Amino acid sequence: MDFVGKRHWFFLFSLLVILPGVVFLVISPGLKPGIDFTGGSTLTLGFSNTVTQTQVRNEITLLGYPEASVQSFGENTFFIRSRELSEADKNTIVTSMEEKLSQDGVDLLSFDLVSPVIAQETILNGVYAVLAATVGIFVFLWWAFRSVPSPFRYGIAAIVALLHDTIIVIGVFAILGNLLDIEVNTMFLIAILTVIGYSVNDTIVVFDRLRENIINYPNREFSDNVNVSISETLGRSLNTSLTLMVTLLALFLFGGATIQNFLLVLLIGVVAGTYSSIGIASQVLVAWEAGDFGRLLRRGGSTNRSTASA
Amino acid sequence: MRRNARSLIFVIILVALSLAFLLVNPIKIGGFERGGDAVLGLNLGLDLQGGSHLVYQAQPVVDPNTGLVKVPTADDMAGLVRLIEERVNASGLGEPNIQVLGDDRLLVQLPGIQDLERAKKLIGETARLEFKHRKINIAEDLEASGVIVPGDVLAVSAGPLPQELIDLFNQTPAPVPGVEQVPVEPREAEDFPPVVIVDFTPDGAQKFAEVLDSIQFTQAQLLGEVPPSSIELSIEDDQTPSSEVLRYTVIGPIVQQVGITNSFVFPFPQGDSDTAPDGPINLATAEATMAGASTVSFVRLAGSVDEDFGLSGDNLTRAYPTLHSGSDRPIINLEFDQEGTKLFGELTTEIAGSPNDRIAIFLDDRELIAPVVTQAITSGTAIIQGNDFTIEETRDISLQLEGGRLPVPIELVQERDVDAILGADSLQKSVVAGMVGLALVFLFMILYYRVPGVVASVALMAYAILVLASFKLLGVTLTLSGVAAAILSIGMAVDANVLIFERMKDELRNGRTLSSAINLGFNRAWPAIRDSNVSTLITCGILFYFSNQLGTTIVQGFAVTLAIGVLISMFSAIFISRTILRVLASTGLSRHLGVFVPSGGSDLPQQRANAAEAQRS
Repeated sequence: MDFVGKRHWFFLFSLLVILPGVVFLVISPGLKPGIDFTGGSTLTLGFSNTVTQTQVRNEITLLGYPEASVQSFGENTFFIRSRELSEADKNTIVTSMEEKLSQDGVDLLSFDLVSPVIAQETILNGVYAVLAATVGIFVFLWWAFRSVPSPFRYGIAAIVALLHDTIIVIGVFAILGNLLDIEVNTMFLIAILTVIGYSVNDTIVVFDRLRENIINYPNREFSDNVNVSISETLGRSLNTSLTLMVTLLALFLFGGATIQNFLLVLLIGVVAGTYSSIGIASQVLVAWEAGDFGRLLRRGGSTNRSTASA
Repeated sequence: MRRNARSLIFVIILVALSLAFLLVNPIKIGGFERGGDAVLGLNLGLDLQGGSHLVYQAQPVVDPNTGLVKVPTADDMAGLVRLIEERVNASGLGEPNIQVLGDDRLLVQLPGIQDLERAKKLIGETARLEFKHRKINIAEDLEASGVIVPGDVLAVSAGPLPQELIDLFNQTPAPVPGVEQVPVEPREAEDFPPVVIVDFTPDGAQKFAEVLDSIQFTQAQLLGEVPPSSIELSIEDDQTPSSEVLRYTVIGPIVQQVGITNSFVFPFPQGDSDTAPDGPINLATAEATMAGASTVSFVRLAGSVDEDFGLSGDNLTRAYPTLHSGSDRPIINLEFDQEGTKLFGELTTEIAGSPNDRIAIFLDDRELIAPVVTQAITSGTAIIQGNDFTIEETRDISLQLEGGRLPVPIELVQERDVDAILGADSLQKSVVAGMVGLALVFLFMILYYRVPGVVASVALMAYAILVLASFKLLGVTLTLSGVAAAILSIGMAVDANVLIFERMKDELRNGRTLSSAINLGFNRAWPAIRDSNVSTLITCGILFYFSNQLGTTIVQGFAVTLAIGVLISMFSAIFISRTILRVLASTGLSRHLGVFVPSGGSDLPQQRANAAEAQRS
């Protein structure tokens, strides 16, 4: 199969997938930050009696938290997000809910409080962590591929692929944030870093085969070596992704609501990571070798596809 | 061949030992202790067993004498850890896990805590005990003391309530949690009783505002324990010397400044019994009364003044709770050190029997009691009685007092509470999800890769046991994110196996013998496994480093768990799978090469397979 010749189609496809997410990210509120990034409090309340979301919503407004948001979190369980609550505020909410809505009792299943100072630091450190991981991986790849010509490119290609995957995941969550009020939190950050790890993992497997082929067949065209390497690792890539997705899906379905968003990020990330190691990372190498980028710059953005892929 | 057998025995022993290590609980070898109530004796995080995770920020302290800001030092932090540990341990609330995060943060974990409110009080209160000499009903003529001199007042008159204040009273009050908002019915000037208006010079207005601030109510006054602070006006007629027009007293909070002007209004005194008994008088009467009034002077009546006399919680040697022998109410007994005994003795001697003197006792700026001293106490002991002390409270306060106060105040900046029911539910779901995930992976591997798939499944099981045993051995706290990481690392372990088997399959298709295909497959797959896992480990390292900064055990749990998982997955794929495969290759199974490749062997070069068979026999 000719993967390399279709690289422009791969790039175009990625662009089409990324675009809606980026549009949502830019024009509307974009990602919906959770209290980990803004500060505030969240409570998960389990009601013994049957209670509707509207009832909880009204009650929390009456209690003086009109800005609070209420989400259903399973049967008679609600997730409330509000401004920072003190111990006394928290107890008032639970007892009032008990009195007004659920005489048989209300369980405070979880409570979270994050002060704005901490939230600011979390954002900052999150950004640093992603940058540090990116740089660390780039340097490692540069070093790991020192036995082949232009090892620098391998690092860059892997970074392009991981950025591609990260943007896809963030884009999807920008859309979900708009449509389903899904918020991003520290767990999301961890998930992004995990996706980065997986994306690179997958890319390295292809690059490793390429490294081997370049050394074994130094006279073969570079693009041919890339194509052969992709074909040879395709089975492995698909099998690994499939098993990983099966495990993640099992977790997603049986693992409870607490980590579902986390798993959703990983699921999207695994698909994107598998695709990007074939359609992005390897193709960036070929495009670089073929001088596509220089041509692209010289023509001021208008590429002639027939000559470029020849 | 013997080497493979030896390796296999080593693997079996290692796995068996790990399994035993997991199943035997508790384990105690010298100082090494593992195991508890949790499943397999693993350390469960708060999100899986329920409990509270509190992060406190130590606050910088401003020295009242020098005005310098003192940043919390490492010693302060160590002191905080020790004190909080002592307090919580002695309270019977459970064993806290306390660590310092960064320079000035404190992580307090309270597994399975029941009474969080009490725990937070116990931890967060600095336990600053203060003793004050309270003097009651002190009158101060503001003119005599030079605070408000006659030149400060421009005019004094009677009049209707100024429009600024009417507008203010007509405003709907800000919403109060738990109270339904009632819109205020707008009222006109006629609806309000007349007032005395005093116009000050700008300078005078400022000084008078300060006087008003000084007579705002204290907590003790609100509770009615001491008389309220107030101000006495005496209004005179300049033309007829020493003829007093009005002299009356108002309490501080009801005096109002008119917007941002230099005028202050005082409610007019109630009408006399003839015209309007107990009711407000009308404007005409008020104006008639005030005709000719031109000067006003003020006397500040401080309800009470608290004076420091040098005694504080630092002068304590002991604090312990008991029940009061007479009333049976919970009390705290205090014993002072030498200096404290002296100070306390001196003051009680001085004020014994005086109805206008008290000793007020404050804990963290909260007034506990302010008793009248009936007789001098020179023995160096005292008791504290709160209005609503519970036995638990007296015990907690005693703990806080005796342990000494916190070196620096702390503030709660992050809290994460998980109910035990939710924790147990998450744990159960994770276990089920893990089982289902593993089973699906086994199914896929066996159906697709056949014999190597079975081998990989066995290796994965060994992997799972080894990972759990390492968690226990290293005391890793298993959190929900850690469970996710562990399951993700199963994916990595599978990946390593898949890489090897794909290579093996290629080598078999190239006509290699089974044993050389096994060796080549492993050797060829190794660089990819190594490099991809190193990149994951780099990510783990970075996550671990930032987890301290992020202040979250979630991140740390994830990083540690994933790193251990990745390392063991490499061992499992490279060593365990290979050993088992090699041992299998030396058995009769090697005659059926087809069971070692996905397609069933139809694409294998037949003659080579036969050659391999011949070679082996």
